[in-house]
Amino acid sequence: MRVALKQSPLQATLLWAYAGLIYLFLYAPVITITLLSFNDSRVVGLPFKGFTLQWFVVVFTRPELVTALANSLVLGIVSATIGAALATLLALAFRRPFPANGLVFYLIIAPIVLPGVVAGVILFVFFGLLKIPLSLWTTALVAHVTWVLPFSFLSLYPVVHRFDRSLEEAAGDLGATRAVVFRRIVLPLIRPGIIAAWLFAFSLSFDEFIRTLFLTGYERTLPVQFWYMIVESLSPEAPAMAVVIIVVSVVTSLAGALVSRRST
Amino acid sequence: MNRSSRNALVLASPSLAWLLLFVALPCIFMVVMACLTTGIFGIQFKFTAVNFERLFQSPLYVTLLFKTFRIAIVTTAITLIMAYPLAIFLSRQRPATKGLLLLLLFLPFWIGYVVRTFAWLPILGRAGIINQMLLDLGVINQPVDWLLYNEFAVYLGLVYVYLLFMLLPVFLAIDRIEPALYEAAQDLGASRWRVFTRIVLPMSKPGALSGAIMVFLLTFGAFVTPALLGGASGIMYSNVIAAQFFANNNWAFGSALSTVMTAVVIAFLVGSSRFIGLRDVFLSRAGDRR
Repeated sequence: MRVALKQSPLQATLLWAYAGLIYLFLYAPVITITLLSFNDSRVVGLPFKGFTLQWFVVVFTRPELVTALANSLVLGIVSATIGAALATLLALAFRRPFPANGLVFYLIIAPIVLPGVVAGVILFVFFGLLKIPLSLWTTALVAHVTWVLPFSFLSLYPVVHRFDRSLEEAAGDLGATRAVVFRRIVLPLIRPGIIAAWLFAFSLSFDEFIRTLFLTGYERTLPVQFWYMIVESLSPEAPAMAVVIIVVSVVTSLAGALVSRRST
Repeated sequence: MNRSSRNALVLASPSLAWLLLFVALPCIFMVVMACLTTGIFGIQFKFTAVNFERLFQSPLYVTLLFKTFRIAIVTTAITLIMAYPLAIFLSRQRPATKGLLLLLLFLPFWIGYVVRTFAWLPILGRAGIINQMLLDLGVINQPVDWLLYNEFAVYLGLVYVYLLFMLLPVFLAIDRIEPALYEAAQDLGASRWRVFTRIVLPMSKPGALSGAIMVFLLTFGAFVTPALLGGASGIMYSNVIAAQFFANNNWAFGSALSTVMTAVVIAFLVGSSRFIGLRDVFLSRAGDRR
């Protein structure tokens, strides 16, 4: 054992058992839903009546589901790109002493601390009073960028603070212009961090639900489509759709974690 | 203002403009809307306090606000108690095992909360796994209904969805403790319990506070979990706000409810900042996805 703390075998066994229970608690629902997505039954639940891929065929052929998937993917890409770009500039600004630093910080974290429903309400009322109609590419995009921006900033903040400032100063002393310093020194150093922030932002946008529910109008994203699917009537293809959402979320988050680990 | 802080302002201005326009200004709109009159022809620009009077005079909304607050506090306490043994367990693993176990911990949390909450329905429902198991074992003859659509199901769902937000900061704090400290304490005759209360607890307090703030905020604003698992008896404050916009079409009253909720969140954050710097809470969260 690496750690010097002496522990009795009983204590170690209890801790392992406890950890096992927690992991079971975390995985049981995910595994259940995955198994049920292959269940040849119109009822979402047991008994298991046989293996089928028909629910996945439904998910990938029903036009509204395919549209919702496409909406979510493209909205995720666009809002992650805008969010990560804004956040990169903002994080770079925070390397220097900043006027009204404290107040600015509270403004930045406001989208995180506001309850999700309130975050939806304020934009819904705002656009409503300004008579701007709700749609995926206007109001929902604004909500998504607002949501991912602070998280991208928080994940970039340590990245821009970590690297050696003397590299920049040295380049400046040797006659490099500010633009050259940024392109040749700063950007290569923080690029993995930006990619990680982008992937993080994408997965946040892809999974976003409550703000989108308020702001998307008639064009639905995947979580909103999924929501109506399970709330209006529990359709038999719901588990298959859940599995598709799970796969996209896990793959992008895993990629983000790997990139981020490499950058540290 | 010197040159470098002017540069900083230029870099920050797109984000700050965005946040002022789409967060600060809409918050002001919400407060204004909360003070408007709703008539049969929709919103009228006559200022009134009637929305707030209705909110505070009807026992329904105040009771629901307290219930939501209570659920958030209890969920925070449950996740705190659940997190400690697991954090201690993880911190004692070898680096490779620790990395793998942490990754396995993150995986389910990367899935959106709508899907993760939904996943409990086929477990707790009438045709669900628990009912099926109890039927097979002969414990019950009829599927039972009480597993779903009550406060218990809401707690279960909330703990399931938000446990990681407590576990991670607690783990990071415990993992940072120098093992030599434990050794020294035990050499000096401290019992395991004393090591826990005198070293682990005080040194992990900032992590526990960070986790508590995050879990409280998330739970206090919960909408999906009570809507899917709570049924009529499990609804929370966010659900009645949403109903003002999706069902009752009363924007002014919905805004009043939202304004009160925001005030509670701000009061909570101001109160919390007496114990821990909010900057530490949010900037240490930056490492979450690693």
